[in-house]
Amino acid sequence: MRVSLAGLLPFAGLMALPGVLPAQMGNLDATPAKPRAYVTYAAEPQSVTVGRRSVLELNFRVVDGFHVNSHTPKSELLIPTQIKLQPSAGVKAEAVVYPAGTAYSFSFDPKEKLDVYTGSFTVKLPVVAEAGAHTVEGTLHYQACDHAACYPPKNLPVQVTFTAK
Amino acid sequence: MIAGRMSKVKRSALVFGVMVVGIALLLWAGWHNLRERRLAMQKAQASHVVLMPEKSGQADGEGELPKLRGKAAPGFALTSLEGKKVSLSDYKGRPVLVNFWATWCGPCKVEMPWFEELRKQYAGQGFEILGLADDVDAGKDVIAKTAQKTGVTYPILLTDGKVQTAYGGLDVLPMSFYVDKNGVVVEVTAGLGSKDEIEANIKKTIASGSTAVAAGGQ
Repeated sequence: MRVSLAGLLPFAGLMALPGVLPAQMGNLDATPAKPRAYVTYAAEPQSVTVGRRSVLELNFRVVDGFHVNSHTPKSELLIPTQIKLQPSAGVKAEAVVYPAGTAYSFSFDPKEKLDVYTGSFTVKLPVVAEAGAHTVEGTLHYQACDHAACYPPKNLPVQVTFTAK
Repeated sequence: MIAGRMSKVKRSALVFGVMVVGIALLLWAGWHNLRERRLAMQKAQASHVVLMPEKSGQADGEGELPKLRGKAAPGFALTSLEGKKVSLSDYKGRPVLVNFWATWCGPCKVEMPWFEELRKQYAGQGFEILGLADDVDAGKDVIAKTAQKTGVTYPILLTDGKVQTAYGGLDVLPMSFYVDKNGVVVEVTAGLGSKDEIEANIKKTIASGSTAVAAGGQ
């Protein structure tokens, strides 16, 4: 059988297509409108054992140069970082466990000690789940400041996706 | 001879068939991969919000600042902690510093004692300060207690939501608008500045408006 190279070219083009298209789509999809926020949430699919108490991790990151109050700030005037989660069918969720904050003081007011989250912080969510894929929706309420200004409280949508096997 | 040629044709057809099936499989795998990636990206985008603020130390509202500078200060009529109605127009003919603050804002509470001091210093030139509490949901008592703690005696007013919008939305605190005697916004600052900067802005505001210009919202 004689198959010319020229005859194969259209096929070669088609074979290359699946590799090229996803990359192009990724670029197109990577430019969504970006509203302002000072904390980001990294949604990572997790898996747990069916019917057994397991701890899910919710990973957040405070944008560099900013801090948010911890869940237990040192003044009642300060707004604590707090997660509110919606009930989800087949998932029994316990109270979330917040990490300890770190000490922080504004340079202009070194006497006032604050308790804040900076960089990455992880909130733990203990659950007991039925078999299958689950999504727990919620919101992270926080209030951020930088070294010289503060920003009104914000709500960050949170979606915890996990599979119980 | 003919049988040999027929066998060759059959073999070629078989090879061609295998190639077609192979290419079809590759195309299907590519399409499947594309579909999976698309679904994964949609899912990730729905739950992973990557949002970037302005660069650190730069107030969100700074882009809005020039919008009010040189323009008439938006008028307002708000209730003071004592329950008195206070309007910006009550201070017509006087230089006024309109300062937005909140009980949860650390930098705001640092500059408030400075304001009090400078207010006394420049009272002779008619200078006044109005402190507008941005977080009315904290409650009047908490606002009063916080203001008292900072030692300020100038009027503290409870915002109504409309005044924040009129002054550009206030994405950052503290935020100060220096309004001259003609009701024109002379300077706008976002975030904590030094006491010297604040005093320089007060002097600029007092000096401004000596010549008649269009009256603002006061």
